[in-house]
Amino acid sequence: MPDAMTAEVRAARTMRREPLGVRLSGRGGQGVMLAGAIFATAAMYDGRHVVETPTYGPEARLGATKVEIVLSEHEIAFPAVEKADLLLCLSRDAYVKYGRAVAPDALVVVDETALPTSADLPPGLVRLPLRAVARELGAEMVTNVLALGAIVGLSDAVSSRSLERAVEEAVRGKDELREVNRRALQAGLDLGRAGRAAGGGWAGGRAAVRRD
Amino acid sequence: MPRIGEDLQRYLRTEMMPTVWCPGCGHGNIARAIAAALEHLAYDPERVVLVGGIGCSGRTPFYFRTNALHTTHGRALAFATGLKLARPDLKVVVVTGDGDALAIGGNHFIHAARRNLDVAVVLYNNSIYGMTGGQQAPTTPVGARSTTSLSGAIEPAFDAVELAMAAGASYVARTTTFDVQEMPLLIADAIEHPGFALVEVLTQCPTYYGRLNRLGEAPEMLLWERDQTEPAQAPITREEMAAGRPIGVFRREVRPEFTRSYAALCERLGAGADG
Amino acid sequence: MRLVMGNEAVALGALAAGCDFYAGYPITPASEILEGMAHLLPPRGGVFLQMEDELGALAAVVGAAWGGARAMTATAGPGFSLMQEHIGYAAITQTPCVVVDVQRGGPSTGLPTLPSQGDAMQARWGTHGDRPAIVLTAASVREAYDATIRAFALAEQYRQPVVLLLDAVVAHMREPVDLPPPPPPSRQRPRPSAEPPFGEHPFTPFGSGRAVVVTGLSHDDEGLPRTGSARASERMLRATEARMAADPALGGLTSYRLDGARLAVLSYGVTARVARAAIDALRGAGQAVGGLELTVLWPFPEQGVVDLAGQVDAILVPELNLGQMVLPVRAAVAGRCRVESLGRADGTLFQPDDLVAAVRAMPHDSPVGREARHA
Repeated sequence: MPDAMTAEVRAARTMRREPLGVRLSGRGGQGVMLAGAIFATAAMYDGRHVVETPTYGPEARLGATKVEIVLSEHEIAFPAVEKADLLLCLSRDAYVKYGRAVAPDALVVVDETALPTSADLPPGLVRLPLRAVARELGAEMVTNVLALGAIVGLSDAVSSRSLERAVEEAVRGKDELREVNRRALQAGLDLGRAGRAAGGGWAGGRAAVRRD
Repeated sequence: MPRIGEDLQRYLRTEMMPTVWCPGCGHGNIARAIAAALEHLAYDPERVVLVGGIGCSGRTPFYFRTNALHTTHGRALAFATGLKLARPDLKVVVVTGDGDALAIGGNHFIHAARRNLDVAVVLYNNSIYGMTGGQQAPTTPVGARSTTSLSGAIEPAFDAVELAMAAGASYVARTTTFDVQEMPLLIADAIEHPGFALVEVLTQCPTYYGRLNRLGEAPEMLLWERDQTEPAQAPITREEMAAGRPIGVFRREVRPEFTRSYAALCERLGAGADG
Repeated sequence: MRLVMGNEAVALGALAAGCDFYAGYPITPASEILEGMAHLLPPRGGVFLQMEDELGALAAVVGAAWGGARAMTATAGPGFSLMQEHIGYAAITQTPCVVVDVQRGGPSTGLPTLPSQGDAMQARWGTHGDRPAIVLTAASVREAYDATIRAFALAEQYRQPVVLLLDAVVAHMREPVDLPPPPPPSRQRPRPSAEPPFGEHPFTPFGSGRAVVVTGLSHDDEGLPRTGSARASERMLRATEARMAADPALGGLTSYRLDGARLAVLSYGVTARVARAAIDALRGAGQAVGGLELTVLWPFPEQGVVDLAGQVDAILVPELNLGQMVLPVRAAVAGRCRVESLGRADGTLFQPDDLVAAVRAMPHDSPVGREARHA
């Protein structure tokens, strides 16, 4: 399905990241902060140590914004993400602003509309039609949950079961949102897994070791 | 006419006297009027808190047997806001000066009035900074002399009554230290009013304002106060207000009061439901 | 277990400590405490008050404390500067209250959303005159919760304002913590007291059965400004400070992998977490490095630092300021070992590698400290 990504995908990354630095970024209003909270909650459900640091101030409402999450098997000392191991960019300005501070073999997941015209793209970049698929589901506002599904499908950075539980938790009491978010999560997971089968994402990682 | 002033000893801490105030200063008359008002209302001194700021007026609480909260310059109303919300059952009377309330504390003054907080504010207005030696105040009239306006003030002065009305005070009155009969009644009225109640008292500072402006000693200044002012009835027009310095009660309205609104909010949100 | 933000943990810690009054003013990065209290207090019958400025906020807190409330405020940089006058007022009037300062880059408006540790000295000396000071800090969400509870206890115990210094990282991070539900509200009722209201006597708010005089002027134990009251106030301030200094429970130091260390990193707040990461890396590379973390900045835990100076050849003091807590460290060490300051005030955290490099650059032999070096 996502034909664009195979071209950008490089060798599978098998390195076990410990601690794992995740940065989710986009434009204010794309639900990036909520995505960060859901992702961190999922990591907590997995029984891992986690620190989540959202961005505050006007940045959170206008222009590029980000949330960082550190996951670890051990107590987390340094709480910030210097070079992200896993980066999500939902908008072009977010890619321009946060796209460079990544580890050399980072997994970078970018919405297809967020790619700058520059040819200087990192090797681990995966381009996905996240916003387009969300629109097909009838609600671009679920792009954040769909994107979480995609990065988990690609990386197993958290378990899909915990992610599902965290999404359920986030929409608790909002019945009208539950179904579309479920569908977005599933679509994202499918998108990510397809991409992974095609050679993107991480072949290994801790979640693969601990699968149950 | 109720009899006033029979047993002020119950309210006055006479062992702290003589006061710091200069001979001829009007502040002692205002303090006496506050004591008389409390006596008239027969409040238990232990259930009253007199909150003062900094300046000559701010010393008032030391001469009372009530609770006293002598605070920082300009902030008496901010302290009073916290105190009154924490203990709505206590009667809170704020004593403040014109510099204290309208310059350094102007922000707290307008916001306490806006909230319609249930406190009585007795504003001692002597048109000058007395404690620090006679400097210009936000109430010093244009042309009047002070140690920082020896050639005559050029800044327009605040009118505390207009300011309080505009800010939302629900009780606003003005009197003078010449009006010794009326003063305790107005203050008692203000204390009983359920909301922000201002009594501005024009008072004489013979030491600085009187001397610098050649107004004579206290007796001459009291007569000058009388001549400066004109009794008026509410509602007062802007023209009347601008024409001179009317005295009397300009507003007495019952409007939602802050501590009661807050209690209602808590109740609406379920406070007290489970003990 | 749930994810809780540092600022939220402060609000929850306050409730756990019995806080029933909050007054504040919006300011980044402390606003979530204000919003949290606005949400939490009214349904419990507690008072939430948004004041017109920070001067008014702490004034209202002190007024409420005299009304018998367990009261607090929270602010950041510029607001903390505005509160200094009333910290002094609370000190001389022996008013228990809690002030949380989520530090941000300064001076002035500075760096509103970026982390800093620039208020360590202001928290100690910001108000004019001398006063005893208790200043706590925290490096995690859990610590922020616990430190808030502790701040209220110490405020009551010493009848003094207690400051909790956080930084924007700890204030805004979310970590999984398991916090008990807040206890039901219990308003401490004023108790009748025949003792003088000040000095070494217990705190008796208004409405305790007799009138109390409270003033920011120097006063005697009856609260009155009279002959000899200057000496009485000095005696009270000295006695309070002496009791703090003699209180072993105040503590204030946590060691991290100090066994056998020849070099130490002394840090606090978020920087302590960076230090742990750096120490792990250095230990992994075989270097004998350990950490000492301050959880109480003031009163400065001097003896623990003296002891450390007896163990190691050099102490590195990294701070997100240009060298503040390094000053009492140097005074305590008094030349027993080398002390190096590593400061930065550009709103950027130290990276673990920065501290690794700084430790590696420290010579182990010379006993005399070098001048401060700034990143």
